[in-house]
Amino acid sequence: MPKIWKFIRKNAKAWAIMLPSLVLFAFYIWVPLFQNISLSFYKTVGTTKVKFVGLEQYRLLFQSADFLKALGNTFEYALWSLVIGFLLPIVIALILNEVVHLRGLFRTMIYFPNIVPGIAVAIMWTFLFDPNPYGVLNSLFKTNNLWLNNEKAVIPLIVFTLTWKGAGATSLIYLANLQTIDKVYYEAARLEGASAWQRFWHVTLPHLKGQIKLLLIVQIISVFQVFYEPLVMTKGGGPNGASSTLVQLIYQIAFEEFDAGKAAALSVIVALILFMLTGLYFYLSKERRKQHGEITK
Amino acid sequence: MKRLMVLITVVLFVFALSACKHKDEKIVITIGMWPDETAKEDVEMFKEWKRRFENDYPQYEIKGQNYEYNVDTFLFMAETGTIPTVFQTWFTEPQKLIANGYVKDITDELKALGWYDKMDPEMREALSAGGRTYGVPRDGYGLGLFMNLKLLEEAGLIEDYDHDGKLDLYDPEGNPLYPQTFDELLSMASTITETLEYVAGFMVLSANKQGGWQFSNIAWNFGADLQVQENGKWVSKLNSPGAIAALEWIKKIKHEYNALPSDVSLSYNDWWSKIGQETLAMCIVGSDAIATPFVNMDKPTDYPYAFVPMPAGPNGDRYSLFGGTPYMFSAKATSEQVMGALRFLEYMGRSPEMSDVAKQSIEDGMQVALRKGMPILPSIKPWINEDYVTYMENMEQMYCNVNMNYFKDFYALFDSMKRTEEPYYCQEMYKVLDGAIQTVLDPRGITVNVENLLTTINNDFQKNYMNNVN
Repeated sequence: MPKIWKFIRKNAKAWAIMLPSLVLFAFYIWVPLFQNISLSFYKTVGTTKVKFVGLEQYRLLFQSADFLKALGNTFEYALWSLVIGFLLPIVIALILNEVVHLRGLFRTMIYFPNIVPGIAVAIMWTFLFDPNPYGVLNSLFKTNNLWLNNEKAVIPLIVFTLTWKGAGATSLIYLANLQTIDKVYYEAARLEGASAWQRFWHVTLPHLKGQIKLLLIVQIISVFQVFYEPLVMTKGGGPNGASSTLVQLIYQIAFEEFDAGKAAALSVIVALILFMLTGLYFYLSKERRKQHGEITK
Repeated sequence: MKRLMVLITVVLFVFALSACKHKDEKIVITIGMWPDETAKEDVEMFKEWKRRFENDYPQYEIKGQNYEYNVDTFLFMAETGTIPTVFQTWFTEPQKLIANGYVKDITDELKALGWYDKMDPEMREALSAGGRTYGVPRDGYGLGLFMNLKLLEEAGLIEDYDHDGKLDLYDPEGNPLYPQTFDELLSMASTITETLEYVAGFMVLSANKQGGWQFSNIAWNFGADLQVQENGKWVSKLNSPGAIAALEWIKKIKHEYNALPSDVSLSYNDWWSKIGQETLAMCIVGSDAIATPFVNMDKPTDYPYAFVPMPAGPNGDRYSLFGGTPYMFSAKATSEQVMGALRFLEYMGRSPEMSDVAKQSIEDGMQVALRKGMPILPSIKPWINEDYVTYMENMEQMYCNVNMNYFKDFYALFDSMKRTEEPYYCQEMYKVLDGAIQTVLDPRGITVNVENLLTTINNDFQKNYMNNVN
């Protein structure tokens, strides 16, 4: 009996359990993924391949001002999301962890924006950011700010709304982790005379470190996929393309221009960027751990 | 083995039987314009049209599908063959749908029914490619100026001269008080903004390709031709003197007169809410959208809204961009289905046929519109056969429920003003013009050199698109 059959027979039950997931995974993830890569090398009419063009779609994209603008904007979104949205959930979680009374109420309140549908959040903030003198925030603060119509402010403001919606949920993940820290460590630190800051730096932070790294990558990946917020809040990436994103450009090329080949090429580029960023992160992280002697080989 | 063979034979036989078309199986037509079930009166009207149609054509079965054309879903539905047999789309879409093979060539069916020559030739052109026609127009539209007369009165620009309780759009000598030129529009918009708090005198669209769409009309009136043939080649003229003057006018009304809303990105969805909330006095809209603020903002049909011809440019050029809302047919539809769907349009009163059943449906539609409090106005006719035009004009006159003094000049002048969109890469051209308008509307637009800006986008547009035409 060939080795492969022996292997399969030996693990038959495990394969049987995994089979439905593998089939669904292959059908919904791997097949479309490879089809998408293949599509990116063709000129298409609708989604039908009509001519093999090699890397032509990629060349056209890199020559397109819209692509370069969206690429720059997407990195800007990622940067602002780190500035505005990365530390906030950790801070909220630390505060919540210290709350003694009405903890459940505060948790619910923090999580509440997350249960509001994303489109509703985008529309609500669009109303609040109305740039006219009668706009809600302009009336409230007696200002004439352009808000989302200001090219320089538009991305930070969109990231602010993303953070408003998403920070609560992330905080609860951190909070769950914080509550698993054994109190013994804090007591020992207190006995050693550690200040609050030292307890945070030497006890809390090392415990959260793994999760912070994971959520950082998740955050960058999700910010790279920002789509409907600029679509709704700035009428498709305005003012003058200042808030357009790569995913929004994919949508525009695929669904408005019906150019599936070029949209597929752009999707591949986005995937490659994320792949490289994740790889870079893991490389740097591994190097750092090596330096600290956490990895021996 | 024998048992297996018998089993396979039986299975194949059952499959073959199920694949056979039953002799009296009906031809199914899916009608995408079917109203949403919450619009009970409209649904009842469609059910009655379906009953009449199926009674006269028993070989067909009508299935209603409330399908609103949407770029989010269209590609998937077209690829999977689930778009309705006939559906309504936007005026911007036909050429794109034709180029990608998502809609059916219905030239032969139109000729067989005798409808081909009855269609407005300019609308037919917009629905055609390579000499073949792919749709029928539901109705036409022309761009004009929509005005909230209440705000004009508050700004002291008009009044009720004859004291009949209605604001007058003409002075006692009969001279129109609405803007005849872009200079007058600028002056009136500026007066409104200065006089009334929180009210913008005028609005310039700049997003979703709708800024470019309306800008092309403004530019024509300033004397521009945006695409011309030179030595047998098509050339883009986005930086012609007329186009520059038009964008300079936008710069002036924004930065010198401050008569526009603060928004840099404005789309066609914004006008009716701003008009309805009385934060905007005047804007350019299509005649097919006049009912929107009445319906969406719940205004009575005698509310003082007016729709007047586009103002003229400095040299007297005065055009109204003309287009139509089309019905198109799934590329997967058979000729029999297309014939059935076209005939059903007759039962909806949306065809050139003036049969009893068509007349009855037109009247049904008018009565439902009246009960729903919609304004009934003249329409831009998509069909040109005399019996259709005469009948529609009589019906519109009979059911008219608005003060026609606020609308009559647009319809009186429209035929002499109408002009169709530029011939090539219209949507792409509108997109680049959107960018130019947003650059000017931005606070930094005050210092922008309009000629340089338009020259840059013109060169790009020529290189990326127009060179493909030649």
